[in-house]
Amino acid sequence: MPDKPDAQVPEGHPVVTPSPGLVELLAEAQETWVARTRGADERHLAEPAQVLAHEAAAPGWRAFEDAFPTFYQFTNRPR
Amino acid sequence: MAGFWTGMRGIATVPSYVIMQPTTLCNLDCAYCYLPFRAHDRRMPVEVASAVAAAVNEWARLVPRFSVVWHGGEPLAAGRDHLAALMAPFQGVEHHIQTNATLIDDEWCTFLAEREVRVGLSIDGPADLTAQRVNRGGRPAYSQILRGAAALRRHGIPFAALCVVSDPRPGQAARLYEFFLEFGCYALGINVEEREGVNRHDTGYLDDAVRAFWAELTAAWRADPRIELREIEWALRYAGAALAGTDDQLLPRHLDPIPLVTEDGRVVLLSPELAGFTDPHYGDFASGRVTDTPLHEIVAAVAARPDGWIAEYLSGVEACRAQCPYFGFCGGAHAANRYFEHGRFDGTQTDHCRNSKISLLEGVLDHARQA
Repeated sequence: MPDKPDAQVPEGHPVVTPSPGLVELLAEAQETWVARTRGADERHLAEPAQVLAHEAAAPGWRAFEDAFPTFYQFTNRPR
Repeated sequence: MAGFWTGMRGIATVPSYVIMQPTTLCNLDCAYCYLPFRAHDRRMPVEVASAVAAAVNEWARLVPRFSVVWHGGEPLAAGRDHLAALMAPFQGVEHHIQTNATLIDDEWCTFLAEREVRVGLSIDGPADLTAQRVNRGGRPAYSQILRGAAALRRHGIPFAALCVVSDPRPGQAARLYEFFLEFGCYALGINVEEREGVNRHDTGYLDDAVRAFWAELTAAWRADPRIELREIEWALRYAGAALAGTDDQLLPRHLDPIPLVTEDGRVVLLSPELAGFTDPHYGDFASGRVTDTPLHEIVAAVAARPDGWIAEYLSGVEACRAQCPYFGFCGGAHAANRYFEHGRFDGTQTDHCRNSKISLLEGVLDHARQA
């Protein structure tokens, strides 16, 4: 079998471990997602055509990317 | 953590989207393209689209949202009248196109807006980085792409962008992100070039360079997160779930069958990049033809009794689950990458895994550690 099992993390160790920098980065990302959704809500009220941006900005599961992340779909829709 | 993951077991009987090939033709001839028949204009008959719609319209009633993705070739090369006829049988779905943008003009914008088609453009950054996107005469398509994007902006049609990165290294990411901020897309996907299909370039990227590329891209996005940046945000969501202990819930419970319907009605499941190829051992990778068997029956039969290359691929997914600590992030190496890199489907880690999954997640984490 032509495997090259040279993953970066030793067996049994978690890939993601907590660190102050990661916690801070994740908090910023969460703020971005909330702000995007809120801003899109406001745009949507003013201009229904902007619903695409709203849906694209909503955080959550994104079927296209996660099922097929190297393909060509970018709606980033929540599942 | 390897072996712990519970998602991605077996194949779902209801997909979340289908991919349609309205024509094999592309008016461009990009150096890295994997499509084998892009010089030939083989158009999908309306009868094929109608057969697909018969299944899709029922699926769309079962789920909140269902997407029909028009790909190609270049989907706009099918022409407005023909594309309209192909779209007509579908009900209750969202239409998407992935286009090279070179054919988009005011008439196309009207067409897209009337049908609320969601648009993804393909462009690789500034002119020098988009140099591999050329027309059939070998001339850069860059200015045509910009004209198409300008038409979309003029008509207020939001668009996402797909960028193929052929040289992932530090110094490239910040420049790319700055370009796309100006370009005006609402979302961006980054595909590190793959050895796939008829593209046999040996990418041979150094892990450290790719990882530093992703770290730099994370920093650029963090400084100005106006664009939804697919890979980085996906990695961040995984990292957040991992810290919260909910990461095993991120992957779908089953593999999405991702039916791709070729212009002549053949159905290739799980890996659209395999469409158009044949192999002495695996055949044409098709699981049926919609003009012979209803699409929902084709999908259900494969989900219930996978065989051939699909059974081999599912065993490969289980091997990834058992061996790879990144499985919860990735869900297993993609079928096409396994095939085009290993020549079979039950291998595990691919170059694509390393460049676009492992180095991605590690690069994001590197940024967090260094920031």
